[in-house]
Amino acid sequence: MTADMAANMRKINASQAVAESLFQEMECDERVVILGEDVGRCGGVFGSSRNLLDRFGPMRVRDTPISEMSFTGMGVGMAMAGLRPVVEIMFVDFIGVCLEQVYNAMAKIPYMSGGRVKMPMVIKTAGGNIGSAAQHSQCLWATFAHLPGMQVVAPSSARDHKGLMAAAIRSDNPVIFIEHKGLLLKQAKEFLNAGDVPAEPFVTPIGKADIVRKGGDITLVTLSASVEYAMEAAAQVAGEGIDVELIDLRSIVPLDVETVAQSAAKTGRLLVVDEDYLSFGLSAEIIVRVLERLGPSSLRQLRRHAVPDVPIPAALSLEEVLVPGPASIARVLREMAAAS
Amino acid sequence: MKLNEINLFRTMVRLRAFDEACIEGVPTFEIHGELHTSIGQEAIGAAMAQSLTPHDAVVSTHRNHYHALAKGVPPRALMAEIFEKETGLCRGRGGHMHPFDPERNFSATGIVGASLPVALGYAYNFKLKGLPYVAVGICGDGATNHGTFHECLNMAAAWGLPLVCLVENNQYAISVRFSDVTATPGIAERAAAYGALGRRVDGTDVEEVVKAFAEVAKHTRKGGGPSLLEATCYRHRGHYEGDHDNYRERAEKQRMRAEMDPIARYRRMLVERGAAEGELDQIVAAAKGEMSAMLADIRKDAMPDPAGAMDHVFAEVV
Ligand SMILES: Cc1ncc(C[n+]2csc(CCOP(=O)(O)OP(=O)(O)O)c2C)c(N)n1
Ligand SMILES: [Mg+2]
Repeated sequence: MTADMAANMRKINASQAVAESLFQEMECDERVVILGEDVGRCGGVFGSSRNLLDRFGPMRVRDTPISEMSFTGMGVGMAMAGLRPVVEIMFVDFIGVCLEQVYNAMAKIPYMSGGRVKMPMVIKTAGGNIGSAAQHSQCLWATFAHLPGMQVVAPSSARDHKGLMAAAIRSDNPVIFIEHKGLLLKQAKEFLNAGDVPAEPFVTPIGKADIVRKGGDITLVTLSASVEYAMEAAAQVAGEGIDVELIDLRSIVPLDVETVAQSAAKTGRLLVVDEDYLSFGLSAEIIVRVLERLGPSSLRQLRRHAVPDVPIPAALSLEEVLVPGPASIARVLREMAAAS
Repeated sequence: MKLNEINLFRTMVRLRAFDEACIEGVPTFEIHGELHTSIGQEAIGAAMAQSLTPHDAVVSTHRNHYHALAKGVPPRALMAEIFEKETGLCRGRGGHMHPFDPERNFSATGIVGASLPVALGYAYNFKLKGLPYVAVGICGDGATNHGTFHECLNMAAAWGLPLVCLVENNQYAISVRFSDVTATPGIAERAAAYGALGRRVDGTDVEEVVKAFAEVAKHTRKGGGPSLLEATCYRHRGHYEGDHDNYRERAEKQRMRAEMDPIARYRRMLVERGAAEGELDQIVAAAKGEMSAMLADIRKDAMPDPAGAMDHVFAEVV
């Protein structure tokens, strides 16, 4: 990093970081167009497309009707026509409405065309638990990861929100960029995984995990808001002599198995924390890939801590026992440390 | 139909008092997620209550409290659900966007555009069994630009299903103005394209809405096929409690709240017709008292026991 770049480091929050990235990418590439519900006049319901309408006008910042199937398909057509659309699906839960265009068109056309068609399209959407019950709380990253052809990004730090959004926009692959509502609403100063954000445009490569905390006892792998929860948990148990190595995956397609496997080989204990559903998902996938690489009996302990297979209830007394948080992560870490 | 004016007034006032009581749970964090109130849209719920029978079905939206109450869902159970209590309509699992009352054929969804298809299912059942009931699918102006609106009206008309599509056109879908995303002045005019009966009504003039809803419901109940009632109104508060709502001009909000307040309008009308101000005041005070007592009582109820967090995923434990 150059000296004047360091001078331009600021503490901004995640939604500002995304909006700034969109702004800068739209400045330098006029093919970038954003469309979705409330992205224009109100700058996104979480403020992550603020200031764009005034600067770029309604042809490039389009407030759409609530017609997800059609405007997602429109994004596919725009990408095929040579634009670089960013389509916002306000909450990831609403993807059901337009999943057809996502997995039959956006994800498959590059392959079906024998590589002749590129799909430089981003779906930008918010997931995660903040007490909004069954239809507005899901993460669903594993669902997208299961569909061949999609790259799946879920940032944690404000810095990564900016750098990974730029990478997603510049990529010729279809990318789903899953923000976490809790992170979008978090103030800059509240972030544990702080990392100042450069004012200049920059790219964080998609597919490279980040070792957020070095440690020798347990490898803890997670992403998105759970990185913050895990940092809190790791700090708690550090006082008890449990030294956690924390890895922020940043993306699950591509999945940086290399970084995870190296760490797990060192610590011998692997814990995957996932705010998405437990079964048929990220946690099993990571564990299997690590074992495939290191051998089936290479690790002393394997643990998964994810949302058990149940829709998210409205009552907070129920949500709290289902969704991984700092306290439950710390509990699992203690159990692992005590076991061997 | 003979109107009981005082009852109609009371119904609207109770609806508003209900939502006002719910609002109290937001700053205290008793209610989570985005709470959507219908303040300003009371006339529509009240009108529906006049025409529905216990067997009719209603499928509502994220903005569902008035529709639930109009369908006869017990206010206490509904409010307890909104406050996420074990005593709630859905044992605190559903919350304010997802109330289900199978005994009264009432349900709702937090997904825009997802109400009409489910209403269509109820309508299909009524037709299959030859029952004289209607299914009311409710949606906002925003939801009418969802594919399901077209698909459901088409199927309902093609098969002659008893679907009443009730559109609450409050002119906004969050920040997006109806006129920015729709080229026609309204929604009712689409009915003709499907072969459905279409009506547009001032949704803040309660007697007009009562008449219009009764007319379309009767048409559909008698086997006339689907109907579409567009009730125009204005959302007095933010999209949800806590919405900054800076996408609507302050002047617009002030003017519209004054002009399009169904309760104030009806009050003026009743006073002109000779109603005593004191009697109307008493009705308002009684409704507020009723709802705040209900809230105080609900606050004493238990939260759901965490031990039951995994219950109800399947009909029986597997
Ligand atoms: C499929 C889907 N897309 C988007 C949303 C987010 N959302 C919730 S309410 C709303 C606006 C709905 O507008 P309208 O239908 O006019 O109802 P109103 O809120 O005005 O009553 C939006 C976009 C959603 N819940 N579901
Ligand atoms: Mg509306």
